[in-house]
Amino acid sequence: MNCQQFQEVLPFIIESGGKGDDESHLQTCPSCASLVQDLRYIAEQAKLLLPMHDPNPRVWNNIEQSLQREGLLPEGRMSLPGHSQKYSTSQQAKSWTPLGWVMALTAVLIFTVVLINYKPKQLPPTPLSAQNSSAESAQLNSDDQQLISQLSEQAPDERSAYESSLRDVNAYISDAQQAAERDPEDATAQELLQNAYQQKEMLYQMATARSLP
Amino acid sequence: MLETMNNRIRIAPRTRHALLLTAAAGFSFGICMAAPAAETHKEAKLEIAAGGTLNIVNGAGSVTLHSGSGHQILVSYTVHSDKVEVDQNTSDNKQRLELRTHALPNQKPTADEAKADYDITVPAGVSVNVSTASAPITVDSLSGDIGLSSETGQISVTNIAKSHLRVRSMTGAVGLNNVTASIIDIQSAGGAVQLSNVTGPRIAVGTTSGDIHYSGDCSGGGDYVLTTHSGAIDMTLPPTASVDLTARSTSGTVENAFPLREKTHNTFVPQQGRSFAGTSNSGSSSVELQSFSGKIRVKKL
Repeated sequence: MNCQQFQEVLPFIIESGGKGDDESHLQTCPSCASLVQDLRYIAEQAKLLLPMHDPNPRVWNNIEQSLQREGLLPEGRMSLPGHSQKYSTSQQAKSWTPLGWVMALTAVLIFTVVLINYKPKQLPPTPLSAQNSSAESAQLNSDDQQLISQLSEQAPDERSAYESSLRDVNAYISDAQQAAERDPEDATAQELLQNAYQQKEMLYQMATARSLP
Repeated sequence: MLETMNNRIRIAPRTRHALLLTAAAGFSFGICMAAPAAETHKEAKLEIAAGGTLNIVNGAGSVTLHSGSGHQILVSYTVHSDKVEVDQNTSDNKQRLELRTHALPNQKPTADEAKADYDITVPAGVSVNVSTASAPITVDSLSGDIGLSSETGQISVTNIAKSHLRVRSMTGAVGLNNVTASIIDIQSAGGAVQLSNVTGPRIAVGTTSGDIHYSGDCSGGGDYVLTTHSGAIDMTLPPTASVDLTARSTSGTVENAFPLREKTHNTFVPQQGRSFAGTSNSGSSSVELQSFSGKIRVKKL
């Protein structure tokens, strides 16, 4: 399991604790372990903020009165028998429900924002995390960026074609490398890797020839 | 009435003058627009030694090459502005001839202005190298050592035999038709490669995302290696094809609708939907189809 796969099942892990695979990934990946620790802490804190008591009876009364005023609720329909007389003044005074609701909602919002915006820290590539790194390596490396930068000045019309081709070929190289690493005896993987490098060499040759004075 | 006429006459010269000026300006503008923008057409007969090499470098426009008799290269080209020119260089021993389109110093031609259209007749035995940016390259009936490279231009090759053909393309489509008994090496990043009746001792095609289509009998007892990362490979073979075929895709799929005999010995264990291998007839040519994620299909013609 790699980081991406782990994060896809993250809600399940937070909710239920996860399975064996998840645990083994957590033990080998400090980044994901740190994330889970943070999220569990937020979840615990959010639970503490949830109301310990039912909402203040005044809330129910106000809602009931509003609905009755607007004719949406017949008189007495919503009120439970003796509901409004159920709570003593002291109980009402102890209730901190509105504040609790606000804080709980805030915690849930923070939790959501963290989940949406979380990006795992870049770790050194490992065999596990390398399995799905094709998309990452589709980025341009510094040589590629330098090449694109030169082309931008000399051939702005061709820039996007080169950029797109370099991204594709980088993904090719990455995929072929992983296939070759998984099975070093696989001749096809070796040939794919060789072809991928030939493709990149071709692009560099073309770009270099163009950039010569 | 007379006064009115006089008034008209008094006003008329100004109006007429303005009209005349306008008409003259319009006429001049029309003449300028109608005339070709410094289009220049030239033709030349150039000497080249037997076994010599012709190099052509052209950005935009077109390059068309075909075979001719004699010992001279017939060059005909048109440039479409006075901001570009064609340089011609010949080595002292006539072994190397170069035609290169380039912008004049301090000129920045537009895409249209930078175009040059070449039509070149090449005698037999002359090697050819063509390099373009967006100009399509069309080659017909040449022989010898041929190198064609284009960033985005389409490359089309027909009627070639007993030659060594090397093709490089970034995004332009590559098409070969009736190219026989030749050693062929095609690399295309994103452009599709279409091979029809293409045979030889060594046919190698590699793409990153471009599709590869092969239609023919793979005759000649050669090695046919078609490789792609994410493009599709479609091969259509006639029943007479004599091939020893393997198809493997790492994460894509393979489909076979061509009658193949199972091989008694494979260098790999075929996986349903991912790879297959087999022979037809005497299996004289080796065919390897390889993709990482692209789909491979082999069909009967």
